[in-house]
Amino acid sequence: MSTSHTQLLRMRAITKRFPGVVALNDVSLELHRGEVLALMGENGAGKSTLMKVLGGALQPDSGQILIEGQAVVLRNVRDAQQQGIGLIHQELMLAPNLDIAANIFLGNEPGSGGPLRRLQRNALAARAEALLARVGLDLDPGTKVGTLAAGQLQLIEIAKALALEAKIIIMDEPTSSLTSAESEHLFSIIRQLESQGIGIIYISHRLDEVMMLASRISVLRDGRHVGDLAREEATQDQVVQLMVGREMSGHYFPPPSQRTPGEALLEVKDLVVVGAGLGVSFSALRGEILGFAGLVGAGRTELMCTLFGVSPGISGAMTLGGRPFAPKHPRDAIARGVFLAPEDRKRHGLVLPMSVAENTSLPGLRSYNRWGLLERSTERRVAESQMGRMRIKARGIHQRVVNLSGGNQQKVVLGKWLALKPRVLILDEPTRGIDVGAKAEIYRYMVTLAESGVTILMVSSDMEEIIRMSDRVVVMHERAIRAVLPREEVTVEGIATLMTSSARHRSPGSGSAGTQVLSEVGGHA
Amino acid sequence: MRRELGMGTALFFLCLGLWASNPDFLGHSNAVNTLRQISMLGIFAIGIGCVIISGGVDLSIGSLVGLTGVIIAKLCSTQTGGLGYSLWIAIPVALATVMLLGLMQGLLITRLKLQPFIVTLGGMLLFRGVSQTIAEGGTLSLGGSPLLELASEGVLDHAGEPLLPYPLLIFLGVIALATLVMHFTVYGRYLYAIGGNRDAAEFSGIRVQNIEASTYVISAGLAGVAGVCYAAYIGQMSQQVGIAYELYGIAAAVLGGCSLRGGEGTVLGIVIGSAVMRVIDNGINMFRFAYVDADGIRRLWRLDPNWTFVIIGAVILVAVVLDQLVHIFQAKRRLLPLKVPALDLGAGEPSKDGAPPRALT
Repeated sequence: MSTSHTQLLRMRAITKRFPGVVALNDVSLELHRGEVLALMGENGAGKSTLMKVLGGALQPDSGQILIEGQAVVLRNVRDAQQQGIGLIHQELMLAPNLDIAANIFLGNEPGSGGPLRRLQRNALAARAEALLARVGLDLDPGTKVGTLAAGQLQLIEIAKALALEAKIIIMDEPTSSLTSAESEHLFSIIRQLESQGIGIIYISHRLDEVMMLASRISVLRDGRHVGDLAREEATQDQVVQLMVGREMSGHYFPPPSQRTPGEALLEVKDLVVVGAGLGVSFSALRGEILGFAGLVGAGRTELMCTLFGVSPGISGAMTLGGRPFAPKHPRDAIARGVFLAPEDRKRHGLVLPMSVAENTSLPGLRSYNRWGLLERSTERRVAESQMGRMRIKARGIHQRVVNLSGGNQQKVVLGKWLALKPRVLILDEPTRGIDVGAKAEIYRYMVTLAESGVTILMVSSDMEEIIRMSDRVVVMHERAIRAVLPREEVTVEGIATLMTSSARHRSPGSGSAGTQVLSEVGGHA
Repeated sequence: MRRELGMGTALFFLCLGLWASNPDFLGHSNAVNTLRQISMLGIFAIGIGCVIISGGVDLSIGSLVGLTGVIIAKLCSTQTGGLGYSLWIAIPVALATVMLLGLMQGLLITRLKLQPFIVTLGGMLLFRGVSQTIAEGGTLSLGGSPLLELASEGVLDHAGEPLLPYPLLIFLGVIALATLVMHFTVYGRYLYAIGGNRDAAEFSGIRVQNIEASTYVISAGLAGVAGVCYAAYIGQMSQQVGIAYELYGIAAAVLGGCSLRGGEGTVLGIVIGSAVMRVIDNGINMFRFAYVDADGIRRLWRLDPNWTFVIIGAVILVAVVLDQLVHIFQAKRRLLPLKVPALDLGAGEPSKDGAPPRALT
C-alpha cells in the first residue's frame, strides 16, 4: 500500500525449471487494481506455468510474489485463494452432478465444526443468488451445473472466485468454447469487475478480444517476458511480432530443400468433421509437407482424426491415390498407408509400460505372425533397425518407453510408422515438449521422407515450424479452412491474422471468405 | 518378473516350513489333494487373468463354475431331477452355454461401452439365479456317474491313488496353451497393449473391441472347464457351488503380479498365485507346532481354522503393500538425480534418471 497505491500484484524474477527445459526465465509481471492485463504468447511460451505459479499449483525455483506490497509464499492452491487469487482454468473445474450453489462454495462452505458441520443450504442459496446477480446470471442456485451452457459455466467460475473474495482473477482462454453472444456478455461482466477494483489477468490467443479488453498487454516467449505494451500504443502487428520473435532463431531447421512435390495424392472434398459446421476441402501432393496452422480448437486435430479413421466424417469424400478413401477405423487408414503420430503421444501414441520393440512392432504385428506364433526374431531385427535409423537413445530395444525422454518417445512413435511403408504421414504437433536436438533430427527425417515421396500433413502451433517446414500452409479457424498459402506467400503476420480472425471475420460470413480462398486450392493442385 | 520371483520364493519357503512342521504336508494323499485344489483354482484364475491383463474384470466366474456343474448334473444325472443324457452331450452343452454367456457379457461391455464391473456383477447374480432355478433350490446328485472318476482318478497309480490326477493334467494343458497364447502370439501381445493403453492400441489399428470381448469368452470357457472338474470333485451340485470363486481367482491373479489397471501379469505368476492361495488354505489345517507344556507333557499347537480368511486376507494385503513399497522406492531412486537442475540436456539424451519427462505448458 505504501509505494504504489494501486499496485495489486507484483511477480519479480520468477524462474521455474522442469527437467530439460526452463519454463520461466526471470519473468516479472505487475497488475494494478481495476486493470485487465492480457498475457499473450505462443503455446509453450510459459503463460500457463506462470499462472500455475500464481495460483499456487507450482512452486517457483526462484523469484518473489508480492500482493499489495507484501511478499507472500503460495505453497498450494489454498494459500493462493486466501491471498485473494482466483484461477479459472481453461477446462472448467466444476462438478456437473452438483447444483450451482454447491459448486460456488465447494471447499469453501461457511460454518465451523469440520467436515461434519451442517450444510446451510438456504444461506448458501441466498448468497449464491447474490453472486449470480453480480455476474449477470438469472438462474436458480439449485440448478444442476451439468445442464448449463458453456458461457454460463464460465460465469459460475467467476462467481466462485468472487465467493472467495478474489482480488485477482485469472482467466485462461475464457472464450475458447463460447459463442459470440456469450463472449459479449462475459466482456461486459469483466468490465464491471474492473470498475469494482478487481485486477484481471486475461490469457487469450485472440488478438481482437485482447485489443478490446486489455489496458496492457504482456508478452511471453520461450519462457521470457519479452515486452509490455499499453493498449493505446499497441497494434496487432506489434503484438504478433513480439510473440513470434523478430528474427527466426531456428538454426536447427534444415535448409529449404529443392524438392518438387508431385501429383495430388490425398484429396479431401467437403469433408464435414464431427463438431464442424462447414465442410473442408484440400488436396495434398505426393512428397509435400503440408502445414496446418490455427489456434487450439480450430479443428485441426479433429480433421486429422477423421483422416485416420478415429472418428469417421459425417459427409464429404476423400480419395487417396485416385481411389476412394473412407476409413472407419484406424486399421482401414493404416491398410492404405495413412499413419498418424498423435498430438498426445502418451495417451494415443504409445503403450508406456511396453518396450521400444513392442511399441515399434504394434501396428504391423499381424505380419509378424508365423504358424500362429509371434516371430520375435523379426520383431527384434525391425526394432533394432528402427532404433538405429531414428537414433533413439535408449539402453536397448527392451527398455520401456515410459523411461525415455519426450524426444525419444516421439522418435519411437515415428519409428513404429516408418517400419511400415507410409504414403501419408500425419504429424500432429510433432515437436511439442521436445528438446532442441531431437527437434532438429525430427525435422531432418521429415525432409528425407518428403523427398522420398511421402506426403506429410503437419499440424503445428509453432509458427516458426510451420513457416520453415511447410511447402504450403493450410490456415484453419473455427473448424473451417481460411486459406491455403503457397510457400512464397507465407508470412508470420499473414498467418497470424488469418488464424486469430479479426472482428470483421468473426461474423457468420466467415464461411464465404473461407470458400473464396478455397477455390485457389484446386488451381494450385 | 519381480513379482513371480518373490511369490515363487515365498511359496517355496512356505512349503518348506509346512513340511518341517508336519511331514504329512508332502505326504502322498495331502500333496495330491492340494495339487488338485491348486489345479481347479488355477484353471479359472488364468481365465480371469486374461481379462485383467487386458484391463477388465470378470465377476461372473464363480457363478459360471457353478452353472456348468448344475447344467451337467441336470442333463446327465440318473437320479431324481436328472434327464439321463450322456456326458458326451452334457459337457459340450454346458461349456457352450457358459461361453455364450461370456460372449454376451463381452459384447455388452464393448459394444455398449458398459463397465465390466457392473455387467459381470449383473451376470454373477443372474447366472447364480439360473443355477438355482435349474436345481430347483435343491441338489442334483451325480452319484454313479463316470464323471466322478475325472476328479478321483488320474495316471501313474501309486498305492491306490493317482500320482497325477486328471484336473492336474488339464491344468498343465491349460498352462501350456495359455503361455503359448499370452506370451508367444500376436493375440497375446494385443491383450497387453490394450491393457497398457487402450487408446494407443486403437490408434495402432488394433480391433480393440473384438479382442476385449474375446477375453470374456476365454474366461467363461475356462470357468466352464474348472466347473466340470468341480462337479466331478463334489459329486452333487446345488446353487451353492462356486460362490465367491471369482474373488479367489482375482486374488490369485493379483498375488501373481497382475495389476487391475491392466497390462501386467504373466501366466506363470497366476499359477504361482493360485498355488500360494491353496497352500495357505491347506497349510492352516496342516500346520502344527510341537512343544512341551509346563507339566512336561508333549502337546501340539494347531492353527484355529476360523482364522483362514484372516490369514489369506492379510497375505494378499502384505504382498501388494510390499510390492508397492518396492515400486515407490525404485521410483524415488530414479528421481534423485533431478535435484540438480538439468539445464541443457543434450540432444535427446535418454533420461538415465528414468523420470517421465514433463511437458512444458
